[in-house]
Amino acid sequence: MIFQPAIIALLLASVISVAMLLAAAPFAIQIIRHWDIASGSERQLQLERRTYLFSTLAMFVMATQLMALMLFVFNADKMSVMFVGAMCAVGTLNVNAWGFPALIAQMAVFFLAASWLAVNHVDTRAPDYPLVRIKYAALLGLLPAVAAVLWLQLEYFMNLRADVITSCCGSLFSEDTKGLTGDMAALSPVPAMVAFYAAIALAFATAAFHAQTKRGGAAGYAVAATSVAAFVAALTGIIAFVSLYIYEHPHHHCPFCILKPEYDWQGYWLYVPLFAATACGAGAGAVQPFRNVESLRNVIPQVSARLAALAAAGFLIFAVIATVFVARSNLMLIET
Amino acid sequence: MSARPSTLAFLLLGSLLAAFAACFTDAVWLRAERGPELVSMRLLAAQLGLSDLALFTEARYTRHPAQADLHSGFQDHPLALEHFPSGSLMVPRYDGLVREATTPD
Amino acid sequence: MTVWFEKQRHLIDFTLASLIRRKGRNLGLLFVYTLLVFVLASVMLYTHALRHEAAVILEGSPEVLLQRLVAGRHDLIPPGYIERIGTVRGVQQIRGRLWGYYYDSVVKANYTFMVPEDGSVAKGTLVVGPALERERGLARDNGISFRAYSGQLFSFTVAAVLPQASELASADLILMNEGDFRAFFAYPAGHYTDVALSVANPKEVRNVANKLANLLPDSRPILREEVQRTYASVFDWREGIMLALLSAAILAFSILAWEKASGLSADEKREIGILKAIGWETGDVIRMKLWEGGLISLTAFLVGFVAAYLHVFRAGSPLFEPVLKGWAVLYPRFDLVPVIDGLQVATLFFFTVFPYMAAVLVPIWRAAVTDPDAVMRA
Repeated sequence: MIFQPAIIALLLASVISVAMLLAAAPFAIQIIRHWDIASGSERQLQLERRTYLFSTLAMFVMATQLMALMLFVFNADKMSVMFVGAMCAVGTLNVNAWGFPALIAQMAVFFLAASWLAVNHVDTRAPDYPLVRIKYAALLGLLPAVAAVLWLQLEYFMNLRADVITSCCGSLFSEDTKGLTGDMAALSPVPAMVAFYAAIALAFATAAFHAQTKRGGAAGYAVAATSVAAFVAALTGIIAFVSLYIYEHPHHHCPFCILKPEYDWQGYWLYVPLFAATACGAGAGAVQPFRNVESLRNVIPQVSARLAALAAAGFLIFAVIATVFVARSNLMLIET
Repeated sequence: MSARPSTLAFLLLGSLLAAFAACFTDAVWLRAERGPELVSMRLLAAQLGLSDLALFTEARYTRHPAQADLHSGFQDHPLALEHFPSGSLMVPRYDGLVREATTPD
Repeated sequence: MTVWFEKQRHLIDFTLASLIRRKGRNLGLLFVYTLLVFVLASVMLYTHALRHEAAVILEGSPEVLLQRLVAGRHDLIPPGYIERIGTVRGVQQIRGRLWGYYYDSVVKANYTFMVPEDGSVAKGTLVVGPALERERGLARDNGISFRAYSGQLFSFTVAAVLPQASELASADLILMNEGDFRAFFAYPAGHYTDVALSVANPKEVRNVANKLANLLPDSRPILREEVQRTYASVFDWREGIMLALLSAAILAFSILAWEKASGLSADEKREIGILKAIGWETGDVIRMKLWEGGLISLTAFLVGFVAAYLHVFRAGSPLFEPVLKGWAVLYPRFDLVPVIDGLQVATLFFFTVFPYMAAVLVPIWRAAVTDPDAVMRA
């Protein structure tokens, strides 16, 4: 199974990412121990030069991880034809115990990478690189996460066996299933819709407010918190009712089948703005702890306001698209 | 004043992107044109009960990979590893087709 | 925002001017890069379209094929076998298939002889596949004779030629009447080559196959979905092997890119030195070089992909023809139905742009941190 082009590409991306981060690790430790912007010593000059390299490498790795998430989901969806019982990505991910952990880990790395990129962006805007230590410490922290993704992907792809009969989304996302996914599917449409639009409206309002006022601190954290909440609510809403409208079927709750070409890839229209908005929201929160650093006093409000504006736009687009899908559908879930 | 290099580069990239997009449009067009051939082949397969594509006609196990003997790579004598070049393109590989002749389990 | 944009534009201007100053080297690199994308994209587009084609065509094939095995080889289905299959619940339609191979020593080709079940071919006539029409020069109403394995000579007239559009499924087929087939191959009466079944409820196919295997322990049921899956994974696997082999080329190319990026000529070094002396920051130089890499990658990717598309779908993939031919005399000529999906494009992107960018990062940095005085003094 490992000789699938997309699998090779994914593993290649993960291996190179881990290798680059590993190469950066000793340097990160050096930075944490010896960085002193005021010093003019030979070592400090060396370190300053090398930060350019490793910042670029790290940016490259993070950007790769953002793309790898798309490729991973895309690939899982495409491979479903190869397994008995699989209709969509759920079946493929369920072939062995590593599929969903790999996806969740990849998603976690996606958001961590986005936050890291936000912090990095802020740091490079200041002349004295005030966050360099924190940045590289975070990089060291990300290394195990990226390595875990690689390990999970390896376990997952190596253990893919075509003769395993897997279960489909119908059994994972149905009203009768025990567990979180079943509960999400069993939510009745009206409360789910209310929660969905309320959470997204709240995230939008918070982000828009923050983007307007540029006041740091609590508002920035609030953007991150409401973004994450809206993310959860949006996924729940997709499972609880948006997917039903897209399939025009009252009991098909799968959040992965909407990615399929049969449904015109409508899922990507939903997920891309949603993930982008959440990543921006999380980024706005991630830079807040440093708002009192002297050289960043002017930078952070600007950057975080811009991120918040992007997040607000993303949530708005997401809500509009979801509403269009619901409005266009021939399914009637709510009696009028 | 001559155009800035970046303008030229954007123009070039833009036209390349347009060509890239044109590939997809062309694909849709060709699909509509050649789609009926596929349907007719499916009908033929149903009518005659065909189980394989006529991609490689040189050996039994490349002509009908789905129906070859389980060990057809070595079918002539034990050291006959592989005769035909297309065997390297179309090996009898059974993912899930491996089924013993007697499996009363 | 506009300030940022204007800055990037100036960087691009500068990059391009510098690229044009070293036309030969950069065009060479661009050419090799494009060629690499072209080969990879051709392989991917070709196998993917073929896989799709196989999936669609095999939709029509029988749901279950039942072979009888004797000593690990398949053997004829004896009389009475089909009746016993009929007792299995869920089996809907049973038909014994008659087909076999024939080696034609005249053109040194293998044919597949087959009897259509509906008896549409009259006695003494043949319906031949399009590749046969081409290779043996057969046309309607031509006469042809084959020497049977028994040594006897049989003569037929060609009643029709299968449409060229169906070549992928029927290139080497010869359809004949049941009586002719039995006489030609000296098939014992009541025996069949194998059995094709259809199952009433598609969800029951597996159960039916298990029941058949229990009832007839010497049989080997082959399910359509398994055949389809096998075809899909055969193509995937081949494509994967091809890519794994080609990754040597990708690696070689990455090394080339690394070399090219790190083996800065004295000119380039001086250029960077001067830029830094007049106030460019290291970050700016890195950005400029990243633009350079990005522009080269994007151009090579787009040109390579478009060329591969034209090669595979418009020109009939002439480069792959010898591979398909192998040693076979009869080989199908077909136009593939284009199927391109985002996953392919994304994977291709990962395979080509990603290694290139990864390979040039370190050299870019090395170039960017060059001290101005060190260069200008040298």
